[in-house]
Amino acid sequence: MKLLRLSMENFMPYKGKTSIVFPTDERRNVLIIFGDNMRGKTSLLNAIRWGFYEKALGRHLRELPLHELHNKEAGDEGDWNMEVRIEFEADGHQYNLLRRATKKAIVARPTRPEDFEVEVLLQKDSLLVSGQNVASEINRYVPEQVSRFFLFDGELLQEYEELLIEGSEQGKAIKLAIEQVLGVPTLINGRTDVGTVLRAAQKQQAKDLAHVSGLENQAKRQAELQVTLDSQEEDLARLLSVLTDKKRERGKLEEELDKVDAVHRAKVQLDSVRQRQKDILTQQNDLDAERLSLMRDAWRDLLRHKFEVRRASLLEERNRISRLMERKSSLQSQAEGLRDLLETEKCPTCGQRGNLEDREKYGSELGLLEVQVREIEVTDDDLSEVIQRLKFVDKMLSASVAHKLESTSAQYRKLDVELTKLDNESDRLEEDVRGFDTAEIARKRQLRDGLLREEGALLTDINSVRRSIDTTNNQLAMVARALHSMPQARASASTSLVNLATSVERVFAESIEKLREKLRKHVQERASEAFQELTTQKTYSGLEINANFGLKILDETGADVAIRSAGAEQIVALSLIDGLARTGRSAGPVVMDTPFGRLDLKHRDNILKYLPTTTSQLVLLVHGGEIRRPRDLDPISQRIGGSYEIKEVNARHSKIERINL
Amino acid sequence: MTSSIEPTMIGLSEKGHSLLKRLKEDEHFAEMADAYRFGIALALAHGVVPGDPAAPRTTVFSVGTIDPDREIYDAIRTLHDTESLPVYKWAERLAEWGVTELWHRASSGALDLAALLKEVRELG
Repeated sequence: MKLLRLSMENFMPYKGKTSIVFPTDERRNVLIIFGDNMRGKTSLLNAIRWGFYEKALGRHLRELPLHELHNKEAGDEGDWNMEVRIEFEADGHQYNLLRRATKKAIVARPTRPEDFEVEVLLQKDSLLVSGQNVASEINRYVPEQVSRFFLFDGELLQEYEELLIEGSEQGKAIKLAIEQVLGVPTLINGRTDVGTVLRAAQKQQAKDLAHVSGLENQAKRQAELQVTLDSQEEDLARLLSVLTDKKRERGKLEEELDKVDAVHRAKVQLDSVRQRQKDILTQQNDLDAERLSLMRDAWRDLLRHKFEVRRASLLEERNRISRLMERKSSLQSQAEGLRDLLETEKCPTCGQRGNLEDREKYGSELGLLEVQVREIEVTDDDLSEVIQRLKFVDKMLSASVAHKLESTSAQYRKLDVELTKLDNESDRLEEDVRGFDTAEIARKRQLRDGLLREEGALLTDINSVRRSIDTTNNQLAMVARALHSMPQARASASTSLVNLATSVERVFAESIEKLREKLRKHVQERASEAFQELTTQKTYSGLEINANFGLKILDETGADVAIRSAGAEQIVALSLIDGLARTGRSAGPVVMDTPFGRLDLKHRDNILKYLPTTTSQLVLLVHGGEIRRPRDLDPISQRIGGSYEIKEVNARHSKIERINL
Repeated sequence: MTSSIEPTMIGLSEKGHSLLKRLKEDEHFAEMADAYRFGIALALAHGVVPGDPAAPRTTVFSVGTIDPDREIYDAIRTLHDTESLPVYKWAERLAEWGVTELWHRASSGALDLAALLKEVRELG
């Protein structure tokens, strides 16, 4: 099967008419479409999905309501027609599929899916396929139940990486989804139906045997267990239903929150900016208080230079006074010697008595000395005062706050600059969130988180009820075995029916296990083939898929590889998806949206080389961060049969243009 | 020489007092006393020999508030001859000049202490 052309009109961001031609040459079967985030890559995937199945999916597989698919700008201009046309060929036939939604005449402005009428037309070789056969004709080539594996996005890849985590909740959900697409539920439904018949038969049996002598207690016990089982199964059904509702509600919230994610991020940033502004104002207030406190002592700094000059003169004065005092002291000492000599008439040095002439000379000298001493007019008080002043000046000089004040001012100015930047940032962010109810966004986020917690609690309850059901079933089986061993019981018609239903149920149970095992092996082989082609680690020998579709990478000795890189996990997920896609249908086109997320160049090259060989067409929807043209496309340059780029006209309008690489 | 009779209260002219209040209100200083001290130091640094302050006078502070540790007193005595005037009388006159000067400098916006320090250093 090959896609030939996709045409859209007013579908999601693609206002007006837009079309893409798919390459049909088997040797050049890669179509690459570039588009930045939020431009409409996933919308393109949804156009194909809606064209084939009348479904478009948002995040978490939530189905997007019809009225949200219509281009808003076209609606504002009064154009309420939306259509997707897919032309394809399969088994030598040409198909032309048209799905169109038009506003009902009585509706002014559609606000719900019911406001549109949807029609589908399928032409096979120019002949119209009747309405009831359209879906089955489509499902022959692109079965809806496996469509997630050939119309897939990066989100699916992330989900499937969970399969590498043993026992994860997501893993259980994926296992169910995989079994669903591979047809296991048909048998499971059969077993459930037989189980219902068995339950009814057991009830009848309990009634019948309640009157048979010797079996009353067993029958009573069986009846009690059946009542318990009914109650437990009702509990389980109720819990599962509540869980489904919660998940649906959360999915819707996630979808709404995704749309305003940029606003939320801007609001978080705005709050942070505002907090920083507050912090800066507080810091500036503190610095202001510090500045004012320092200004109390800053007067000393104004006098610093004067004090330095004064200090020098005081030091000089102190030295002068000290010299004079030393001199005075020396003179006083000499005068004291002469005074002693005159009093004792003995030389203070040799002790000899002096004569009269000498006494006169000494007296004259003493007089001169006393005059000199009197002329030196310095006292200890003078020196003491100078020393006191010097101490004071030193104290003043040591008490500078100028540096602290300068540092405080510098910090204040720096914060001022930051505040100006934050003011500008805050204006920009306020503009970004203007018109949005950020309180409502915050409320929804809380609701979403609350639902997540509720889901966790519900899963715990569900597991607990399931364990109780298993226990009750085991007890019922014991009672059944006990009854079976009694001839009175075997004789009743209801016992025969119970035995028959039990046998049929066993057949279904064994069949389910066999089918699961067969499918598991089949998918494992396909996924391993793909993995060996895609992995860059040549010592990896393949993949092992366990009963829960949990995945393991095996090395060359067949042992589990415990430590894996994020890239390796993505390759494992991709291999499984490829395996599943090839298990559920014959080779056909594969459309991949943003598939290269965390992969290194070698892994990416491997994918680009491998997938075109296992698909009839490979359509890659990529952004500039995944593929840098043209060099990243070298490995498949010979296989590229077409390339387009999604360009933004405005936030609600994108267009697709053909480009040359 | 200084007179031994020092005043216990000192102040400014009414105009000086109103400027002092503005300096506090405009948050250049936490207290009027801080601005008063700063004004005295500014005048001292400029080597101002103040004349009689303008009348009428307003008593603003007790000396103990302005100069609890007598540092202003000692600074004036260390740096200046008060010409037989009591030191705190001299201080009052210096403050009158200093506060007026401060107001002129602060009235254009922030009080640029770094510029003031540079200026008085260059004055020698």
